[in-house]
Formats: sequence, C-alpha cells, structure tokens
Amino acid sequence: MKPILLIALNFVREQRWPIFVLLLWVVLLAMVGLFADLPRERDDLLFIFKQIAIYVIAFSVFFGASAIYNERRSRRILGVLSKAVARDQYLAGLILGVAMACAIYCFALGATATWTLGSAGFPIPQVWFLMLCLVAACVLAGTVALMFSTFLHPFLAAGATAIVLGLPALASLAFSVRWAYTVPVFVLAANVLKSSFKSPGGVFWLPVGLALLETFFFWALATVIFSRVDIAVEVE
Amino acid sequence: MAAALEFDQVTKEYRSLSSRRSIRALDGFTVQVEAEEIFGFLGPNGAGKSTAIHLAMGFMLPTNGSGRMLGKPFGHSATRRRVGFLAENVALYHRPAEKLIRFYGALNAMDGSNLAKRTRDVLQIVGLEEHAKRNIGKFSRGMLQRAGLAQALVNDPELLILDEPTSALDPLARVMVRELLLSARNNGKTIFLSSHLLSEVELVCDRVAVLHRGKLVRFGKTADLLQSSERIEIVARSIAANAFAGGVAHNGIVRFSVPASDQRLALERVWSLGGEIVSVNPVRRSLEEVFLEVTRDRQTPLAEGVQ
Repeated sequence: MKPILLIALNFVREQRWPIFVLLLWVVLLAMVGLFADLPRERDDLLFIFKQIAIYVIAFSVFFGASAIYNERRSRRILGVLSKAVARDQYLAGLILGVAMACAIYCFALGATATWTLGSAGFPIPQVWFLMLCLVAACVLAGTVALMFSTFLHPFLAAGATAIVLGLPALASLAFSVRWAYTVPVFVLAANVLKSSFKSPGGVFWLPVGLALLETFFFWALATVIFSRVDIAVEVE
Repeated sequence: MAAALEFDQVTKEYRSLSSRRSIRALDGFTVQVEAEEIFGFLGPNGAGKSTAIHLAMGFMLPTNGSGRMLGKPFGHSATRRRVGFLAENVALYHRPAEKLIRFYGALNAMDGSNLAKRTRDVLQIVGLEEHAKRNIGKFSRGMLQRAGLAQALVNDPELLILDEPTSALDPLARVMVRELLLSARNNGKTIFLSSHLLSEVELVCDRVAVLHRGKLVRFGKTADLLQSSERIEIVARSIAANAFAGGVAHNGIVRFSVPASDQRLALERVWSLGGEIVSVNPVRRSLEEVFLEVTRDRQTPLAEGVQ
C-alpha cells in the first residue's frame, strides 16, 4: 500500500500547477458568491457551480490519459519501476493520484458551494453528495483514460475515453436510461447537472458503487495490458 | 556461488507497427554474472547493452529466452528491493536531493530513522551532502548523475546495475565512483557495469563481456582478454636495438615483440648475438585494442556517416 500512496502523492505534486489552475475556477465561484445578490441570483450561481463542477471530469481524463506518457517520455518511470514497485501498484498509484487531484478540487468546490449555495438555500448535505458523485465520476473517467493510455498516445486515449463514456450516454438517450449505467459517468454527471433549488435531487448510491466497481475492473484491465508493454521504449 | 544475474538465450526484437520491420536488438544472449564480482558490459552504440539491462530490470519482455536476477525471474518486483539501478541519461523528479533519495528509498519499503540515516550516508558517499536541501532541478549534469547514483545505493543493494554511471562525471568524481565500486565488491556486492569508458572498465572489472549487434562477441576475465596469445614481448640486454624490427632501447635494455610462433627463433638469435634475456611475456593489450578488434570490422566509418 505504501508505494501506491507514495506514487499518488508524487503524482499530485507533479500535477500541482494544473490543479492550481483548476482551483482558480473555484475562486471564481467564491468571488461570484461574494458579490452576488444571493436570493435573486441564486439560479445563476447554481448554473456557474454546475459548469465549474463538470470541468473536473474533463481534467480527470486529461490527468489519466497523460500520466504514463509523461512519465515514459521523461524516463522517470524507470526510476520508480526499478524499485520494488509492481506495475499494478504503479497504476493503482496513478489512479489514486488522479482521485486525490480531483478530490482536492471537489473539496474546495464543495466548501465554496456550502458557503455560497448553502446561504442561498441549497441543502448542504446534497452539495457534498454531488461532490462525491463528481469524485466517483472522475476516478472512473481517469481510470478509463489511463487504461487506454497504456497502449495509445494521450490524444487517442482521450478520444477513446470520450467514446467509452459517451456511447452509454447516447444509448440512454436513444433507447433506455439503463444504458447509462453501463459506464455511469454520465449518470453521475447528470446528477450534478439536473440539480436545482426546487429539486436538489436525491442520494442514489447505485451509480457511485458501480463507478467504483468499474474503476477496479478498468484498473485490472490496464494492469493486464501494461504488464505486456515495453516501458523503456521511447514513446515519441 | 549462485549467479547474481543470468541471461539464458535471451533474444529481443523490436517490432515497428508502421513499417512491419523488426530489429533484433539482442540475439541469443547468454551470460552469467557471478556474485561478488564487478562485471563490465561493453559494446558500441546500439549494440544492445541497454536493452539487456532493461530486460533484466523487467522494463521489457524478451522475445525469446529467459533470465534470472538474484535467483528470481526478470521482472520480479520484490527482488528489485535488493537491486540498485542507475539508468543512462538519468531522469529524476525535481525536488530537494534529500527528499528525492528518501522517496526512492521509501519505494523500496525503507522507512524511519534507517531511511533518514541511509539517505544522509549515500549523499555523503556521492559528495552531495552540502547540496542535500537544494532542488535537483538546479543541479549540473554531473551532480544529477551523482544523485542518480545515490538513489541506486540508498537500499544498500546486493546487486548494482549501472548504465553509463560516469559519463557526465569529472575525473575526480570518476575516481570516487571507481573506489565506490571496488569497496562495494569487497563488501560482497555484485556490480554490473555498462560503460563506454574502457579505461575505467579495465581498472575495476573482474570479467568483461563485449556485445556487438546484439551478439556476445567476447567474454572472459579481464586479465585474460588483455593478454595477447599472438605476440610475445622480449626484453634483453647487451644487444643492438636495430637487431630486431621495432626494437626500442632504453638504459641498455632492448624491448621488442615477435609473433608467438617466432618466440624460440628470436630467443636463439638474442643468445647468438651474445645478448642476455631479461624477460619474456605475452604482450598486454589495452581493453580499447580488444574492443576495437572485435567491433571494428563492422563499424561504420565516421567519414561515411558525415557523407
């Protein structure tokens, strides 16, 4: 467990600037909350909150798709995997790192929303449940991207991830909503997007649980693929 | 004594999806590195040295063959706890040197006061103790290589695999590394040293393997490789230097070499000229001469490359 945690913390440290840029969006929400006429402009505030919240899913795909590539291109991966670190541990560390990076953002967003939306009458427990949904969505999206990046260039991995996450969403719109649960990132994101002051939404654990289960599945799949990859070969 | 590192008929082919070509980087490579020796691994650029090292470390999978490191198959992650590795063109995370070494030590399941002490010790060994708090992003290339060596040593490894460890070092630091390797060997460690610095290898290595185009072309004890069985050096006194082709006189002593097959004739000639034999020894060559001998026939001339 210790190597996984070390790799995760190292990942967060290496991604500190993108995380910092992400947090600037939260600062934006805080500024709007500070100057808004909350009772009158609360729907606008919620709209900004939802928009800012959804960005983190795109960032999780970016984090997941580029993690291995960056490490291989810089050859720093050799230093890590020359230690007593198995490849499945290495991938688990990166996934935990993506989860931590997104959790930092979601925590900051949740804290800001507690203050701003909470003051405007949005149920605070629901704010934190939505943040949990976001983190679960990010972890799954990041893991799918990481899985594809074990054998694809980051751009292609991000594209493939968009297809894997998007197809169930399209199928749910065209056929049945059940399709959305096959890869539940869309369901979790929709939880956030559909919430309103009148109908903040309920607490549905199924998509969160499914997301965690599928994260485990995609991690296992990534491990199988990555164990066959020659990591010392140049990636350019 | 069990081998520390074994390659058994290891072949590695790189396949390109776009061109459908495959390049054989390593071809039926078989070598055993014994415990408690310094093993030199030589070869021109592209000979397959780094490929062999990456296979041993588990960074790559062999196309054919197998190998063992400290008794376990290549790629066994727990075994790497007993191994130190320094890659060519060392790449490390940008953070203070002390924190960086602690990070790599912690990845090898070290912790607490043991890790803290060992980190200080290795930084001192590689001469970076005064730069322990400095971010390695501000290090020179030579200092980076020292930091790389420190991370390889932090777990006090039984087997040290070094890929070009002295390429960026100044002469003083090279001497430090040489002494470090000899001291490690004397303390029961095994060192697998890949280097282009033939004089360094000649000085420290017990055995040497020369790789060329993925194949092992020379392998043996360093002393045996350097000893030529083809020419004999004869030192004699009381004869004229010009009595033998290539004879050199110094303080009344004449030194010349002859093919081993002519040794008897040359000795009889010295005696017939009234001379006295001082010594008869096989000619000792430099490792550079041996290296060029086994690789030059297939080398691309520099001029050709320029054209």
